[in-house]
Amino acid sequence: MADPAVASGGSLNAGGRGSGSKAATSPAENYYMARRRTLQVVVSALLTEIGFESAEKAAVETLTEMMQSFITEIGRCAKAYCEHTARSVPTLSDTVVTLIEMGFNPDTLPVYAKRSQRMVITAPPVTNPPVTPKALVAGQKRVHPAHIPSHFPEFPDPHTYIKTPTFREPVSDYQVLREKAASQRRDVERALTRFMAKTGETHSLFKDDITTFPLIAAQPSSIPYLSALLPSELELQALEETDSSEQDDQTDSDNTAGNIISDDPNADKENPMLPPNGVVPSAKNNEDNMIDNPYLRPVKKPKVRRKK
Amino acid sequence: MNRKKDKGFESPRPFKLTHQVVCINNINFQRKSVIGFVELTIFPTVVNLNRIKLNSKQCRIYRVRVNDLEAPFIYNDPTLEVCHHESKQRNLNYFSSAYTAAVSAVDPDAGHGELVIKVPSELWKQGDDLKVLKVYIEFSLDQPKGGLHFVVPDVEGSMAERGAHVFSFGYQNSSRFWFPCVDSYSELCTWKLEFTVDASMVAVSCGDLVETIYTHDMRKKTYHYVLPIPTAAPNISLAVGPFEILVDPYMHEVTHFCLPQLLPLLKHSMSYLHEIFEFYEEILTCRYPYSCFKTVFVDEAYMQVSTFASMSIFSTNLLHSAMIIDQTPMTRRCLAQALAQQFFGCFISRMSWADEWVLKGISGYIYGLYLKKTFGVNDYRHWIKEELDKIVEYELKIGGVLLHPTFSGGKEKDNPTPHLHFSIKHPHTLSWEYYKMFQCKAHLVMRLIENRISMEFMLQVFNKLLSLASTASSQKYQSQMWSQMLLSTHAFLKSISNVSGKDISPLIKQWVDQSAVVKFFGSFAFNRKRNVLELEIRQDYTSSGTQKYVGPIKVTVQELDGSFKHTLQIEENSLKHDIPCHSKSRRNKKKKIPLMNGEEVDMDLSAMDADSPLLWIRIDPDMSILRKVEFEQADFMWQYQLRYERDVVAQEEAILALEKFPTPASRLALTDILEQEQCFYKVRMQACFCLAKIANSMVSTWQGPPAMKSLFTRMFCCKSCPNIVKTNNFISFQSYFLQKTMPVAMALLRDVQNLCPKDVLNFILDLIKYNDNRKNKFSDNYYRADLIRALTNSLTPAISINNEVRTVDNLNADVRLILEEITRFLNMEKLLPSFRNTITVSCLRAIRQLQKNGHIPSDASLFKSYANYGHFVDVRVAALDALVDYTRVERCSTELQWLLNMVQSDPSHYVRHKILGLLCKNPPFTKNTDSTLCNEALVDQLWKLMNSGTSHDWRLRCDAVNLYYTLFGLTRPSCLPLPELGLVLNLKEKKAVLNPTIKPELGASNVVDTAASIGIHGVGMSFTAVDEEPDPISLGVCGVGQPPQGLKRKVETPLGSPPEPGQVLQQQEDDGRPGRYKIRFNTMEDEDIDMETVHDSQAFIHHQLNLLDRPSTPGKHIQTTTTARTQNTTTGAKPRNTVPCFFLLLLSGKEPPSVEQSMLSMPATPVPSFAKESASSMSSKHGGGGGSSGGGEHGGHHHHHHEHKKKKKKHKHKHKHKHKHESKDKDKDRERDNAHAFSNSPASGRSLRSPSLSD
Repeated sequence: MADPAVASGGSLNAGGRGSGSKAATSPAENYYMARRRTLQVVVSALLTEIGFESAEKAAVETLTEMMQSFITEIGRCAKAYCEHTARSVPTLSDTVVTLIEMGFNPDTLPVYAKRSQRMVITAPPVTNPPVTPKALVAGQKRVHPAHIPSHFPEFPDPHTYIKTPTFREPVSDYQVLREKAASQRRDVERALTRFMAKTGETHSLFKDDITTFPLIAAQPSSIPYLSALLPSELELQALEETDSSEQDDQTDSDNTAGNIISDDPNADKENPMLPPNGVVPSAKNNEDNMIDNPYLRPVKKPKVRRKK
Repeated sequence: MNRKKDKGFESPRPFKLTHQVVCINNINFQRKSVIGFVELTIFPTVVNLNRIKLNSKQCRIYRVRVNDLEAPFIYNDPTLEVCHHESKQRNLNYFSSAYTAAVSAVDPDAGHGELVIKVPSELWKQGDDLKVLKVYIEFSLDQPKGGLHFVVPDVEGSMAERGAHVFSFGYQNSSRFWFPCVDSYSELCTWKLEFTVDASMVAVSCGDLVETIYTHDMRKKTYHYVLPIPTAAPNISLAVGPFEILVDPYMHEVTHFCLPQLLPLLKHSMSYLHEIFEFYEEILTCRYPYSCFKTVFVDEAYMQVSTFASMSIFSTNLLHSAMIIDQTPMTRRCLAQALAQQFFGCFISRMSWADEWVLKGISGYIYGLYLKKTFGVNDYRHWIKEELDKIVEYELKIGGVLLHPTFSGGKEKDNPTPHLHFSIKHPHTLSWEYYKMFQCKAHLVMRLIENRISMEFMLQVFNKLLSLASTASSQKYQSQMWSQMLLSTHAFLKSISNVSGKDISPLIKQWVDQSAVVKFFGSFAFNRKRNVLELEIRQDYTSSGTQKYVGPIKVTVQELDGSFKHTLQIEENSLKHDIPCHSKSRRNKKKKIPLMNGEEVDMDLSAMDADSPLLWIRIDPDMSILRKVEFEQADFMWQYQLRYERDVVAQEEAILALEKFPTPASRLALTDILEQEQCFYKVRMQACFCLAKIANSMVSTWQGPPAMKSLFTRMFCCKSCPNIVKTNNFISFQSYFLQKTMPVAMALLRDVQNLCPKDVLNFILDLIKYNDNRKNKFSDNYYRADLIRALTNSLTPAISINNEVRTVDNLNADVRLILEEITRFLNMEKLLPSFRNTITVSCLRAIRQLQKNGHIPSDASLFKSYANYGHFVDVRVAALDALVDYTRVERCSTELQWLLNMVQSDPSHYVRHKILGLLCKNPPFTKNTDSTLCNEALVDQLWKLMNSGTSHDWRLRCDAVNLYYTLFGLTRPSCLPLPELGLVLNLKEKKAVLNPTIKPELGASNVVDTAASIGIHGVGMSFTAVDEEPDPISLGVCGVGQPPQGLKRKVETPLGSPPEPGQVLQQQEDDGRPGRYKIRFNTMEDEDIDMETVHDSQAFIHHQLNLLDRPSTPGKHIQTTTTARTQNTTTGAKPRNTVPCFFLLLLSGKEPPSVEQSMLSMPATPVPSFAKESASSMSSKHGGGGGSSGGGEHGGHHHHHHEHKKKKKKHKHKHKHKHKHESKDKDKDRERDNAHAFSNSPASGRSLRSPSLSD
């Protein structure tokens, strides 16, 4: 009767080690601690049985550890055997084989169990085994279909594999979408402009009611042409998305080429001629890499004598 | 026509300029000042050159040296103040002639100049061997108002970081504004240009940049330019700024410059310039004449495009990104224009102003060829039609545009354009509008020449001119070849006749030497028996701006059997032309009908007249006459023409004609055109508007949805949901333009209540709502702007109840929706500005329209804030436009004042010019309307503006003149009180010019007679006074004073001429406002009552007035005066007696100080007696008019009497204008005295007395 207790204790303990060690106050931890204390009592009883009158704490601790390891190993091994034969619960034979495997003769066990001087230890106080918090059960678990044996694991909760409609069916009607997009944008724009109007100076079209149609006041800028001519960032983005324009590539490459070359002091008049039509200059550029443009030439240092 | 003279160019100067150095060694952006010097190398062409006249305006000249010798100089610029301040003349005729005279006085083409340098006597003898003279002038400019424009944005940072820049500008030859030179297009020389600028700046100028050198402190650098090709000073320019530099990737000798941050735009905008270069070089078979080309894009540009030798200055607003559709063709056009002018205008320059048309014509013509190649034949023909319509409209409205004015003998009398209020003798006196039309006509005439001699020959001529010029340009000065680079009308025509062998002189005579256009009226009848088309072409050549055309005219007739061309001869008296028809067979079977272009089409012939084979007829289809044609043909013919004629011009003509035929058939034809993809998009756009008009005319019978709605839905809306527009995709430009236009046209639809139909408005609102540009490659700013325009078009006047104040609560529901859209758009623009702020522009217009229609309170403050400096120029112009409109509608003088202040003070020259232009286009009042705005202060202000306030800008001054003309006409503004001086004698010119406009008005008005009669009264007095009131003094006044005056008068008679005062008087009466007249007399009478107590001088004046008035008072005097008058008229000599008085007035007017002084002392003794005398005369007058001597009554009598006489004497005065004018003067003087004597100067009017006293 001790065996199953030991075995189960070992296995439980093993599980405890895996998870434990940090949260000593949690119920599960208490549970494992209680087990270990029981084991310690057992070790002490065995020592007393053998004839020790006292033992150092460290020694008892070591022995407890050894005992625990032994039991754990038996449990682990038995479990392995059982799983090896495609079962989930170890049987007696599994344990026996395990014991043999560990060099332990199982035949001696009954004799040992029936020895006269053995001390009876009271059963450890039963603490509630820790309850693994129940996973939220959502919906009915599916039963196995006929071709799957029942020992196979159950299906997980349906929500883990079934798509869960958390929103309504999206409207894909074009008209409605356009309508929505339009009104959404309009709302955003209106809200934004109203906000801007509220927070800044305004013009009003009506003297009696300055809030109904607030117009953001016109602010003169120092360089008005910049904002009027340069495309806004929004537009630029859109442009990048829509095309990588070819003419930009051309001019870009040409110009950078031109700039690099510009500081070549020996650039002589290579290019007084117009490029013949149709020739893409980027190709041409590479050969005669000399753009001789007076505006690209470096500025000369003043000559000392040169003083008109 | 006297083109004989130009056997080569003869310089008007006694020297020849060969080389000029311009060196600007300091440009201060903070102070906006410039310091530099010029050095002109000249060869005297006369033996003793002692004076050198150069042009210079604004420049402060520190020293002048000739060959290192200090030379004295005189600086006199008569254009600074055209009429001198003491003059109270306020009539435009006077101003115009004075202005022309001032411009002539410094005209470099006549060898004149503002700066006269005396050559040191040591150098005179050198003249013998005609040695070179070097004229060295140091000058500076401080805050120049013209010539150079500084743009200095008010932000943090160094000048370069702020984007500060400066550039030269001007209208025509304006280089004298920024450096002393010979500012003539015909004085060529080579150039060396040096500009020292901050190291962070770039100086761009004409010619080749030879080198750039740092100054010794390394903080500045000097740009050295050399221009070896002989160039005229007006073609020299400069731009300095922190420019970003782009070397053209296709042509490395072409460099582009733009302001910081705009480089990406520059790259895109310039990416096709090389194609334009290639095109011109190819057609002209001539290389670009300069070794380099520069384009500079500047802010606040004076004009969009201005070209100079080897460089052009553009407005920075022409730059655009690849996303912009509408701006792209415009920018390309500007570039092409600039480049065309490089060949003809810069490289080849004009010999004289009269030859300007050749250069403008050629550059306009080759620019047209570029348009044809780039934008297609349709676009080209459309453009030609547009230009033709423009010039025709202008000439018919304003009067002829003369391309080649000849001023025979330099006499101003032979003014070739008497219908204009300005002289066309100088470019600087022209109105801007006129000059634009001049250019337009010039290139149209060039096209006519091409029609005549073929394009090949035309291009050969150009090539010849260019090669001659380029040969000449490489010569040294001594070879005297440079004048080959100057083009004259004569040389051009000679070249044409050499190359083509054709005589084009009739054409030149008709269109170049003569102004005006031709106006045809055509109608036809089909004679079935003879199978002949009887075409009648009539002309109107009597109304202004028209001329008679004699010569060939082309007519095309589309018959069932094909299209046939006929050339008819327009002769003096033949109106009818019989054209035999080819189509004998009536439509027997279904047969395809051959068109002009060889195409054969099926037509539904059911609409046509069963008896006639004529489908349509066109007169002058190739636009080879500058004409307007009004042709009558049946509506179905126009419809056939619209559907089947392939020429866009014909289609547009048909569309225009169909407006008059609102029938279902027209509707169908227009709708079909709209749907036809192959049709030219501009025709389709035009069809939209015509369809809207037709729909409105057919409003009661219109079936189905509003016009164009279903069409638009089909073309641009989603198939599944027809009320929602597709997301924008502007890949196809044609449909883009159509998509833009259709809503604008639809909004013009009106229902039976004359309101925009509800579903149209909702449709447009939906277009705005569902507009989605996220997937579009192009910007939709123009499209959105047009949608706002559509909303604007949908507005109709509000129903106003008892003129209530407009409030939010009583806002119409539809208008509320519109207003919300506008508010949102305008606000969004602040956060995400659109390209060129097109949306703001549209919104401002919409708001003004809302105000005007009474939906929202009319208020100018919003527009004022947008009109201020610091907004984008398009926005400013839109706001100004609204303000101008507001000023007119509300007659608000404060706004007008605000606008005029801006004209004087705004930093942007373009905006100033624009304000005046807008005011002219939409004037607050005109000469024919009455307005409270029209007052003396305004007249003075405008006068001042054009007289002296705009001396720095030719264009602006002419704008001011234009405005003055629009508001007041040619004559003295009616709102002015009569002038202080009866006649103003121009001592400088030794004459007083007769206002020519007096004459026509004389005939129409009675008042002239009044004036005249008053004048004569004086004479009558001198004869009759003795009988009635033996008053020696009065006799003395009039009689004694006469002889010497008469003498003087005789001397001056040929010069003297009637002044304008009389006409003012007359105008007042003309206006039906005799009140003013009366009131004056009233005031006079009031004063008379206190005669004893008033100041002596006043009393004296009144006395004088009474003397003059007396004859016209009721009672016995009438007879005597009338007899006197008859005497005068019969004898002819006597009326002259009246003259001297005025004449003295005149004199005194001219020299007020001296006269005033003498007069002030005068009245002391005579006054008491005078006072009594006048009092007695008063009472005698009143005797007839009842006991009370109430002023009003008296005035009434007075006036009545005038009228009475008017009728009597009307016919007699016809041949006596001169006298009348003189007498009017007197009259006016009197008036003036009344008006001014009390308020102004006590001296005024006293001149009357001067004769007697001096005697």
